[in-house]
Amino acid sequence: MILHYSCSSSHQHDEQHDKVHGPLANRLRAYTDSIEYEKSSLDAMQQVKLVLAQIHDTVSVLLPERTSMIRSYPCSNCHTQPLAKLSAGRKADERKSHWDIAIIHGSAEVMNCQTCHDEKNMNELVLLTGNAILFDESFKQCRQCHSTQYADWVGGSHGKRLGGWLPPRIMNTCVSCHNPHKPAFESRWPSRLNTSSLTE
Amino acid sequence: MEPVQLPENKNTGCQSGHCSCGKKKEDGFEQVMSKPSDRRDALKKLTLGLLTGVGFTSTSCSVTAGDAKKEKAQLNWEEFFKGNYQLMTDDEKNSTVKRLERLYELNNGRKINVSAQGPMKDVLYGYAFNISKCQGYMDCINACVQENNQDRNSQMQYIRIHEHKNGSMDFELADDNFYHEVPAAGHFYIGTQCFHCENPPCVEVCPVKATWKEKDGIVVIDYDWCIGCRYCMAACPYDGRRFNWATPEVPADEVNHNQHYLGNRLRKKGVMEKCTFCIQRSRNGKSPACVEACPTGARIFGNLLDPNSEIRWVLANKKVFRLKEDLGTEPKFWYFMD
Repeated sequence: MILHYSCSSSHQHDEQHDKVHGPLANRLRAYTDSIEYEKSSLDAMQQVKLVLAQIHDTVSVLLPERTSMIRSYPCSNCHTQPLAKLSAGRKADERKSHWDIAIIHGSAEVMNCQTCHDEKNMNELVLLTGNAILFDESFKQCRQCHSTQYADWVGGSHGKRLGGWLPPRIMNTCVSCHNPHKPAFESRWPSRLNTSSLTE
Repeated sequence: MEPVQLPENKNTGCQSGHCSCGKKKEDGFEQVMSKPSDRRDALKKLTLGLLTGVGFTSTSCSVTAGDAKKEKAQLNWEEFFKGNYQLMTDDEKNSTVKRLERLYELNNGRKINVSAQGPMKDVLYGYAFNISKCQGYMDCINACVQENNQDRNSQMQYIRIHEHKNGSMDFELADDNFYHEVPAAGHFYIGTQCFHCENPPCVEVCPVKATWKEKDGIVVIDYDWCIGCRYCMAACPYDGRRFNWATPEVPADEVNHNQHYLGNRLRKKGVMEKCTFCIQRSRNGKSPACVEACPTGARIFGNLLDPNSEIRWVLANKKVFRLKEDLGTEPKFWYFMD
C-alpha cells in the first residue's frame, strides 16, 4: 500500500515537472543535427570587409576588418623612435601628442600605452608575452584579462551579431562597442521617453 | 500551415468525408459564402449586401467615374470578400498582397512591397534578453516603431522597458515611466514584448481564428479577419498585445515600404497588433529591429532548432528563466544574466 502510494506520487511529480519545463525543452534537445539554410548572413554584408577569426578548431567567427584602416595614416609616420626618446625631445611648452586620450581602463599601475601598443612597431599591437598581433586580432588582447567576457563572446551571449541570425556568425569585435581607452558604457538620457510621460 | 478545424455543419451532406460527394475546397470563400442560413439570417445578409453593393456598384458601374476609381472599387470589393489568410491558397495569398500594394499606390501615389513569404524549413524562432546588459537606453523602441509602422498618434509601442530596483523582480513595483539618465544606480532593466508562447492563450480565445501560431513559432494576426473583440488582450498574461483605438497614423515619408501581410503592413482602426519578431525581417534572415538597434548586445535572436545557434548556447550555458513559467504557456523568450 505504502509502496504503491509512493510510486504514484512520484509519477505525479514527474508529470507536473514535465508540464512546467517539458515539451519545448524536450523538443529542442531532440534537435542535434546542424541545419542547412538556403540563405546566409553574408548576403546582407557584401559591402563590409570581413576577416575570419579562428577561435579554436570548431569555432570561427567573422569580424569587421580593421587593420587596413591604419594605412591612410600609419602610426609609424611619427613613431620613428621609441616612446621615451620621442617624449624626451618635446619642448616644455609643447602640447603632448594624443592629449585627447585619457586611459580610463584598469589602473595606471597595470595599464599604460605600451601594455597594448607595440612600442617597436606602432602599427601593431602587443600581447603580454611580447608577441605582436594585428589590429584585427585585438580580441586576443582583451581576453588576457577579461576571460569570462571572452568565453561569453565566443559562446554567443556577449557582444552583437551583424548581418542577421543566419550562419556564418558575423560578430562585432570587442572594440566595435568598447572604446579600449575608456571601455565602460556611459550613462545618458534614454533615446525616447515612455508614452505616459510625454502626455502628462 | 497547420490544418484549421472548421466547425462541421450538421445539416448538410454526408459526414464521412471519405466518399466522393465533394469535400469542400478550403478557400475561406466557400466557408463564408455557401453557408446554409435560415430566413432571418438570409434577410439580414441581403440587407447588408444590398447596402454595400449599392455603394460599390454605383462607383464601379458609373459612366462618370474615372478608371482609377473603378479599379479601386473593384479591388475594395475583392478585399472585402477575401477569406481568412490561413485558408488561402498560395495564389490567393499572392493576389491579396498584390491588391494591397495596388490599393496603397492608388490611394497614396507611392509603391510599397507587401510579402506573403512563408516560414523557413527547420526554424523555430527564440529570443533571449540579458538583464545585466540592458541599460534602459530605449533605442529598441524607436527602431521598433519605425520598422513596424506603429501609430505615432497614440504612441503605440510593442516593447516596454521596466526599471526595477536591485533585489526586486515585482513588476507592480517597477517604474515604467522613468525620466532620468540611465542606467540609474541600484537599478536594472527588463524589456517585455510578445513572447510568442508555444502554448499561446491568446490564440485559444480568439473567436474568429484571426490569430494563430505559424510553423516557425511566430504568433501572428490577420488584421483583416480580426473583429477587435480584444479577448486575446485579456487572455495574454504578459501584456503583449495592443489595440488600435483609432486609425493608426504614420507620416507618409516615414512608412516602412518593406512589409509583410502578417507583420508591419498598415493596420486599421479596431484591430489588434503586436510584436511579430519582425516577421518581414526574420524570414529573410535578418534580426528583428530591436536586436539590431540595441547598443549593448542585450538582445539575442536565433533558431532554437539549430544546435549551433547562439540562442541554444545561451539556453545551455546560462541560468535562464521565463516570466510566469508556472502557467505552462512556454514563452520562447528567455531572460538571463551574466
